[in-house]
Order: sequence, then structure tokens, then C-alpha cells
Amino acid sequence: MSHRSDVPHPSEMPRPNDVPHPSEMPRPSTADSTTPAPPLHMPGSAPGRSWAAVRARLEREGHVVVTATWGEWLTAALTDPALRPLLGRDWQRYRRTENAVARYRFVTSRMLVKHTAAAVLDTDPAALELAYRIGGRPFLRGFDQLDVSLSHTGDLLVVAVSRTGRIGVDAEPVDREIPFGVLGRRMCTPAEAALLAGLTPELQARGLLRLWTLKEAYTKALGQGMRLGFTEFGFGDDGTPVTADGSPAPGGAWAFTTHPVLDGRYLVSTACQDTGLDPARDLTARTMLDPEFTGAVRTARDREPGGPPRRAL
Amino acid sequence: MNRPPVTTPRPGRPEGGAPLLAAAQQRAARLEALLGDPRDPANPHSSAALAAADTRGAPPEPTEALLGEAGVGAECVPVAAGGLFTRADLLLAALRPVFRRDLALGLGAAPLAAAAPVWAVGDARQRRRTAQLLLNGGRLAVVTGELAHANALTRGGPSAHRARDGWILHGRKDLVRDAHRAGAWVVHARTAPGRSVFLLEPGLLPADAVRTLPGAPASGLRGTPLSALEFTHCPLPADTLLGRPGQGTALALRTFQLDRCLVAGAAVAAAETVLRLAAHTVFAGRDTRTVRRRHTALAPLFADLLACDSMATVALRALSLPAGRTPLTTAALSQVVLDVLRENLEDLIGVLGTHGHTPGSAHAVRDKLARDLPHASLGHTGTAACHAVIVPQLRGLAAHSWFRGAAPPPALFRTGADLPELKHRLPPAADGGDLLSAALLSSAERLAHVPRADGARTVLAALARAFTGELHELRRRCTALPDAFDPAAVVLSDRFALLQGAAAVLGVWEGQDGTDAFLAEPAWAVLALSRLARRLGITAPAPPEDCVTQVLDELARRGRSDRDCALDGGAPTY
Repeated sequence: MSHRSDVPHPSEMPRPNDVPHPSEMPRPSTADSTTPAPPLHMPGSAPGRSWAAVRARLEREGHVVVTATWGEWLTAALTDPALRPLLGRDWQRYRRTENAVARYRFVTSRMLVKHTAAAVLDTDPAALELAYRIGGRPFLRGFDQLDVSLSHTGDLLVVAVSRTGRIGVDAEPVDREIPFGVLGRRMCTPAEAALLAGLTPELQARGLLRLWTLKEAYTKALGQGMRLGFTEFGFGDDGTPVTADGSPAPGGAWAFTTHPVLDGRYLVSTACQDTGLDPARDLTARTMLDPEFTGAVRTARDREPGGPPRRAL
Repeated sequence: MNRPPVTTPRPGRPEGGAPLLAAAQQRAARLEALLGDPRDPANPHSSAALAAADTRGAPPEPTEALLGEAGVGAECVPVAAGGLFTRADLLLAALRPVFRRDLALGLGAAPLAAAAPVWAVGDARQRRRTAQLLLNGGRLAVVTGELAHANALTRGGPSAHRARDGWILHGRKDLVRDAHRAGAWVVHARTAPGRSVFLLEPGLLPADAVRTLPGAPASGLRGTPLSALEFTHCPLPADTLLGRPGQGTALALRTFQLDRCLVAGAAVAAAETVLRLAAHTVFAGRDTRTVRRRHTALAPLFADLLACDSMATVALRALSLPAGRTPLTTAALSQVVLDVLRENLEDLIGVLGTHGHTPGSAHAVRDKLARDLPHASLGHTGTAACHAVIVPQLRGLAAHSWFRGAAPPPALFRTGADLPELKHRLPPAADGGDLLSAALLSSAERLAHVPRADGARTVLAALARAFTGELHELRRRCTALPDAFDPAAVVLSDRFALLQGAAAVLGVWEGQDGTDAFLAEPAWAVLALSRLARRLGITAPAPPEDCVTQVLDELARRGRSDRDCALDGGAPTY
């Protein structure tokens, strides 16, 4: 989705300690640990313990990143008798995509989003509608307790979900080179460029790819409608975004993470917002309608002379 | 089932709408003049001064004092109780200058939702005390009950049980806005059965049974600080109860409804400031060709703001209609307004870039509103409560109301037209009717007869047809909903809300009397409705290029001359 095929790439993998420090994000149960947890790999749709890990991570940390390869989900997608209702309004787009690989990536990424969301909301994936904002940002219609972002490149699928605010995720293959020339300068703030200029080509490339994925993730989190120029904001040493003139970047408190995934073949960065509301940890669909409100509405509805017969929800 | 049309306002009421609107606008002009130029650094009520208070997490004291002296507290006291309140849309019109400057300042000065239970079911003494408090510039805090999927702002709360000569209140609410400086608290408490609401005056409670503690620092609406309120087996006299025991859920629903509409209207006013500043920044000194070439991205945001203003205005005006249909309409419209505004504030980051971030700049005002908005809207908890109002009605609406009900009175959509006063008595929460879907069908029917040659109107007609088609689809899917809770109903509730939004936009466009030539033209409605169609993911015609240009040119005109960028369109009066 965020895939920019014109971007080439560094030869060496960023180590986990290159990862920016998570900033203002509340992380109650990981207070003792400064390293953000790596993405969870979900090689299929079988229910069970693995989804419990996704739910637990989301409850504990406020967001979770799930990875898979499209190959791991393809059989499940193609043999799912309910694929059409599952894809819903994406069905036509799926059918229209002529390139087979693109079609498989499309269908499996939608499977991964819906199964992840359904596991968290404790509902049937086909009951959910994956819709798109005008700028292209995907969202789960009606369920704003979850913000979602997805990215795919090569054989990798990544889905990020958050309950604390906007989230954006971006993935790039580590062997994609971003030359520290014209392109590099076009995506860096002067401060970033100055920092990178003093490094060896290897470290430069590594740093550039990290910056690229972080910037992609952040602009995706802010909405993809009108992209913020990559030189409009940069990442300081502490990992917090700052604008080119040094003021804090818009959008409130953010946490950023970068991780290697799939045996280090890809780099995944996540930008996660915290709107400061400390939202409910219970995200399930069935508990979201206030029972007293629905009760009062139903009582009033049924009291109405000539109104509809009494019924449950 | 066929329903009689909603009673239209009786003509010739002495306190009729137009004079009332003029009076509210006069009060607004006075406030605007008192608050002065927000960009003047020497003005103690400037954007920069309000932002500085917000940064400190402290109330902007000079501005609050000014509002107190101006008698703003009277705005949410009903006329019958000695105040100025007649209708929710007029409250917003009168306080617009405050909301334009700071959401927290306005919401704190006009605690309509907090006071609503008192006006709805309070006895003579309770009404008198509350009126006195607000008329004298005092503050009223509300301890809301916990809602499903509660966040930090709504979590927890006390419960009450009966004692020999009253009640015992026990428990804690962590975050209560303005609790430490309020002259009275309206407390929603769990009781058996259900919930009950109490009106408490802190000074009359035993000091050792109540504690007000500093709350956690907030990340939004920082001008009205949060406190924790802790009751320890606090005895309450019987006469602190508002209404009857167990009436709390109905009162909470009403409180939520009023709060939600007011927040939506206030958020539109605040977002107008951001768009106006952005337009001024982007357009000042640039010629029309440059604007058209480089800044078309602002046109849809302007159309959306006009749409949000239409929806919020219709929601606030719907509160004056006598039937119990309004919770459905207000829940839907407020939800769409708050969602669209949040999205557009994010889009503005891309338009503005990040340079020029100085106090009082479009960037700074945008950032502050983006922080405030989730706190005012309550985020997911607020949306979920809206779904809780809509979802139980969907199947009944599909079976009995859609394509059968009567359209609302045209006055609902005409901002200058007369409406009955808002009745604070508790209305039935739902009566199975749906005003706006009927209005949508009427609009579509009228538009079906426009001549083909009229380009923009033809597109508008096609959009109205697309929304009508979606209502058919919605009926099909809602009819198929099972008895038990089905998560698909929440998805349909969201789709329903967008259709209500489309109906409000069409209604407000049709309700234009031609005074404002731009609003009377279909361009803005075409652009706004095509965006609502895209939000629904339905197939609809794209807006013609000249519609976009017309909307953009109007924004440029308003931006250059510093005119209001919402429906009002007026020039500043300071």
C-alpha cells in the first residue's frame, strides 16, 4: 500500500538498538522494559492461543503489529467459501485486479486485517466492514475503538491496530537502497542530513531506510489524503518527531518503533498516537453499546402507542 | 406506519424565532467586541493568551472574568427561570465568539448539559438555586455516570443507597471538570434500581465526607482543569434528589444528547477559526490563478465545514421539535460532525505544512483543537453511546418508518426560521420515527424534476438518488438483522448516520432563501455530498470541476477579507 518501488536500499540491517526510544506512550506493564515488543507473526487464521497473544498485547501496550506472508494466508483466502461477504465492498476491487500476485497480496492483506480486528473485537470477520477514508486510510466502519493501518511489500503483510489513537505502519525490504544523494536529501531535514553526512555509506543507507519507514508510518497515521512533505518534519535522536523549525510535530503524543521482521529481510516502522483518553481495555463489540442506554431507548420505543412490537436488539 | 407531521411552530408567538435569533446574534456581536481581535498581541483575550493558559493547564482567568461580567451564565438558564435560554441553536449562536476562540472556555461557561436535569425534573427550589448560581457567574460541574467502554473521563463514579431521611453517597470519580471551583455538582449515581441524579452544593455537605483532589493533568480542554471527587458515606438530604429515584438513565440520555449536540456545534465554531486562519495564511496576497493551481485541497475542507455546520445546526434545532424522534437524529448527526472534523483537522496538517508554527498561528490553533476534540467528544465512548441510541431502533425503522414517514417541517433546516422553545421536560427517548430519512426522500423527489441543462443541480439530483438507493439497501440489511446483538448493526448504524448527514446538508441547501448567493448555489452542497458518498463507499458522480472552483474562490474571498468560513459568512465585529 505504501510501497514505493522507486526506493532502493541499504545493505545492512538496523540493529534493535537503533530503534527510537518510545516517547510519551503509556506502557503500564512494560515499564521495566525499554525495548518495544517486536511484531507478532500470525501465519494463519486458526483461532486459539495466537490471537490471545494479539489481544493481550493490545490491552497491555495500546497497540499491536501483526505480520504474515501472503503465502501463509493464500490457501485460507482462496478456499474460504465466505470470501465474497468477507471482502464486502472490496470484492469488486479484488476481482478487477488482473496481476495475480497483486490480487493475492490484496486479498490476503484484507484477510489479515479482518481476522486481526475480529479477534480483538471478538466477532465474525465477515460482520466487519473495512472501509476507506477519502484520503485512502482504511478503517473499520462503526468500530472506532480500533484504528488500523496496513502495509505490504514483497511477500510480507503487516497490520497494525491501536486503541489509543491513530496508527500508521510501513514496511520496506532491507535490501532496498536509498542513495544518500538527491533522493536522500529530498527526504531529510537539514538536521537529519547533517547527522547522516558524517556516517559511512553503510550506516547512511541504514539510517535512511529507518527514516523512510518512520516518515511513511507517521504520514500514514496522520491520514494519507494530503501527504506532509518528508522534509517538513524529522526525527531527533530520541525518536520524537520535530518539525523543521524545531517545534513539536503535530498530533500530540507519539510512540515510534522500528523492527526487523521475517528473518531480517524487512524493516517495519510504526507510528502510534496517544490522544490521552486512556480508553477502555475492553474492546469487544458485544459490550460497546451501553446496556442502560439501549434499554431506555427500547423501553421508550415500545411504549409508543402503535409502535413496533417489543423485540430484543 | 403513517405518522402525523411534526407540529409546526404556531405562527405569531410573541417570542418568535426571528426576533430571538436577532437577539442572540446581538449578544454574540457584543461578546465578539468584548473579546476583541484574537490576533492582537496586546489583547488579554488573544489566541496567544488563551493558548498560553492552555499550555499552563490553567483557566484563562481574565477571559473567564470578562465572560462572567458579560453575564454569559444566563445563556443556559431558561427564560422562565430568569435567564436567556430558549433554544439550543440560539445558545450556540450567542456563544459562538467564545467557542471560536476556545472550546474549553465555552463549554465551561455554558454547562447546558450539566444543568439540563435540573430544568427537566428539578423542583422549584432546585431550579431557583441553580438559576441563581449560573446567573451570578458561578460554575456547575457534572459527575457523569459511567458509560460502556468508558475512558478515563467517564470511568467510575459513586453509588447511592437510601438512608432513613435521605441517601448515602459513596465512591469516587477520578476526573470531573471544574469540580473544585463549581458552586454545585450534578451527580449521576448508581442506585438500586438503575441510576439517580442529585444536585449537591459542596458547602452544604459534611466536610469530612467529601474530598476534592487534584485530577490528572489533561491532554485536552486544559482550560477547565480536572479534579477527582471522593465521597465517603456522604449523607445527602432527601431534597438533593433530582426527579424520581431511578430516573437517572433517562436523564443521562438527555444530558448526553444535549452535550453531544452542543459539542458538535462548538467544534464547528472552533474548526471555523482554524480553516479561516488557514485560508488567510494560504490566500493572502496570492492571485486567483495561483490559488486555483496550488490550493484546491482546501475546497473540500471548506465544503465539509459547511456540511458540518449544516448538520450541527439541524441537530441543535431538532432539539426544539416536540417529538421523541430527536435522539436518533442528534446521535447520528453529532457523530458524523465530530468524525469529519477530526479527519479534516488531520488533513490540514498536510495543507499547512509545519513551518510558521507561532502562537496564534493556524498551526497552533489547529494543534490545540486537535488535542481538545477527543476530550470534548469522548472519543470511542461517545461514538459507542451514539450507536447505543441508534442500533436498537434500526430494525423498527426499516420495518415501520423508512419510505413511509412524514418529512419534518421546513423550518428545521432554515436557520432564520421560527421554532418552538426547547422543552426541558424528559421526552420519550425514541418513537420509531425518523425525520431526516423522510426529508432525504422529499429532497430527492424535488431534485428529480430539475431540468437536465442545469449541470450542478443535475449532479445534486444524482447524489440525492444515490443516497436514496443506499437507504433502500440499508432497509434491506436492517430488516435482516437478527434478534440478538449483531455487530453488523453497528456497521449499519454508522452508514445510517452518514445518510442523516446527507439529509441535513440537502435540507439546509434547499432552505437557503437567497440572501447568501454562494450558499444558494449548489456547488458547496455537491462537493460536500460527493464526499459523504465517498465516506459511505457508494457509487456517485464526482463533483464537476466548476463546483470545486466556485467553492475554492469563495473560500479565497472569505479568507482574504477575514470573513467567517462557516454558514454564517459574516465579517468580524471586533
